[in-house]
Amino acid sequence: MSAFALAWRSLFRQKRRSLLMIAVVTFGFASFALAGGFIAQSFEALKEGTIRSVGQLQIVDRRAVGRAEEATLEFGIPDAPRARAVAAAQPGVAAVLPRIDFVGLATVGARSIPFLGIGVDPGPEAAATLASGLVVSGKYLSGDGGEGIVLGTGLAKALEVKVGDRVTLLATTPDGSLNAADGVVEGFVDVKIKELNDRYLAAGQKLVENLLQSEGTASKLVVFLRPDADEAKTAAALEKAMAAAGFPVTVLRWEQLATFYGQVKLLYIGIFGFVGAVLVTIVILAAAIVMTMAVTERTREIGTLRALGTRPAGILRMFLAEGVLIALTGCVAGTALALVIRAVLNASGIMLPPPPGASSGTPLHVNFYLLAYVAGLVAMLATMTFAAFFPARRASRVAIVDALTHV
Amino acid sequence: MRTDPAGPLVAADGVSRSYVLGAARVAAVRDVSLAVRPGEFIALQGPSGSGKSTLLNLLGLLDRPDAGEVRVEGRDGQALSENERSDLRRDRFGFIFQTFNLIPVLTAEENVAYPQVLAGADAAARRERAKELLASVGLDSKADVRPDLLSGGERQRVAIARALANRPAVVFADEPTANLDSRTADDILNLMRRFNEAYSVAFLFATHDPRVVERARRIVRLHDGAIESDVTT
Repeated sequence: MSAFALAWRSLFRQKRRSLLMIAVVTFGFASFALAGGFIAQSFEALKEGTIRSVGQLQIVDRRAVGRAEEATLEFGIPDAPRARAVAAAQPGVAAVLPRIDFVGLATVGARSIPFLGIGVDPGPEAAATLASGLVVSGKYLSGDGGEGIVLGTGLAKALEVKVGDRVTLLATTPDGSLNAADGVVEGFVDVKIKELNDRYLAAGQKLVENLLQSEGTASKLVVFLRPDADEAKTAAALEKAMAAAGFPVTVLRWEQLATFYGQVKLLYIGIFGFVGAVLVTIVILAAAIVMTMAVTERTREIGTLRALGTRPAGILRMFLAEGVLIALTGCVAGTALALVIRAVLNASGIMLPPPPGASSGTPLHVNFYLLAYVAGLVAMLATMTFAAFFPARRASRVAIVDALTHV
Repeated sequence: MRTDPAGPLVAADGVSRSYVLGAARVAAVRDVSLAVRPGEFIALQGPSGSGKSTLLNLLGLLDRPDAGEVRVEGRDGQALSENERSDLRRDRFGFIFQTFNLIPVLTAEENVAYPQVLAGADAAARRERAKELLASVGLDSKADVRPDLLSGGERQRVAIARALANRPAVVFADEPTANLDSRTADDILNLMRRFNEAYSVAFLFATHDPRVVERARRIVRLHDGAIESDVTT
């Protein structure tokens, strides 16, 4: 008759109370597992979206780190096609996309709206990023882009244009002169952030080079890696190879670029950490009450066990084992409950409201995230052990004679 | 450690014990010396409050005296750690209580086997010993029954079997017949006497029951926490 066997039998003394405590752990664990799965899914989606947007690595001119350009392409990478070829030749690199960042004025008739422009190589850009998936009307750029442009929905609305309309683009060249080029609207995109939708414009590299009169210069090279590539090692190898080829560049990792990702992650961790702390507190309080009642009710029995030769540590183990068994039983039931709730939620089609800064909501989806289940199990075991410890310690220290005469 | 085989199993030497009751300190046992030898069948007799149970608890290492010492087979009980005292109770003592004190979630057989679990006996050995003891108290057919389904007499028989599980040197019995009817009490006392004679295990009773006194070979009478008389019959 081990401490666990005796503890297991003891759970059936006060069935209703044990069930209530197991139910508390069950709901606590299920909440932990579901919240963990939801957070993990959110982080994963946010990370995926961030990488698809900014790339896994970015190659930028060393002068561009921590500084803003005062003139267009001030810190651009000259001879970008050769730089792109050097980067693409590195092991682990799946794709290298040139990007040209610029600002300007989009004009249609009497309407002129400032825009944030991006020059891309349309084919690889569409293949590696979410760009083509953001199109809500028309189509994304193709081939070398030609005269095609893609507008954010807000910018398109402000300009009152439709697919096929012509838009005149005005921008400052690197040497400070003003230049203009015509573009044809190919499609509209929803980039999910309202402020950006109001200013977003993408065009083929050729059109942008023509507008800026900057052939062969890119603001940055966006790098996507193969799934098996080591991000840090590839970044270091890239920087070395680029330097050897005469490009004074720095390779930035996506986490350095995506401050928004870090902020959102911290916010989520803060919110769910608080909810988790509340959950743990509820479980601790409930468990402490249940275990204290168990110790009080069984004081005479504790005295008997001690009289028969059970050491104080044996009494401590017995009550801790009860706490652990409640935690384990609750976690098993909680796993089943979490899986059922997860299936129901994922099938419900519930749409989440847009997060701050975003323009559209996303369907609720809760991942099966094993780590959340393991963390839930560890948290519940630790919580129940902690909650049971003090009543158990009191039980182990009770004076035998007092315990035997306890009423 | 067993020193002199002819010496006392348990001996109290000038022990005193008092309790705080409200604002007053009440002396339950005062300067008592008593030795229990192998095979003795002793009744501690006296009115309520005379200190019988307190003395029993001190001799059984369930409590510590304020003064004096209790020696178990030559070892000073005061000098032992809580774990050592637990081990001594497990290996050398048996206990029988007025209210039986069986573990309600264990069957009769598991209750009897429990002290052997503490002693680390293997499952087969403790099962065999528990069955043997239950048979000797006439409860072999109730091995799988839980205490709540047993009568008072049956429960006390299980408690006796449990007290003997680890082949103790002394069994301490605190009012073992107080909750039993007259006939059952007689049966229980005969049973204990039988074990006393068959295995030379010493029995020390704290009792009001004249039937116990009738069967005792030594009667120690307590009054106001002190020994009034100690008579061997």
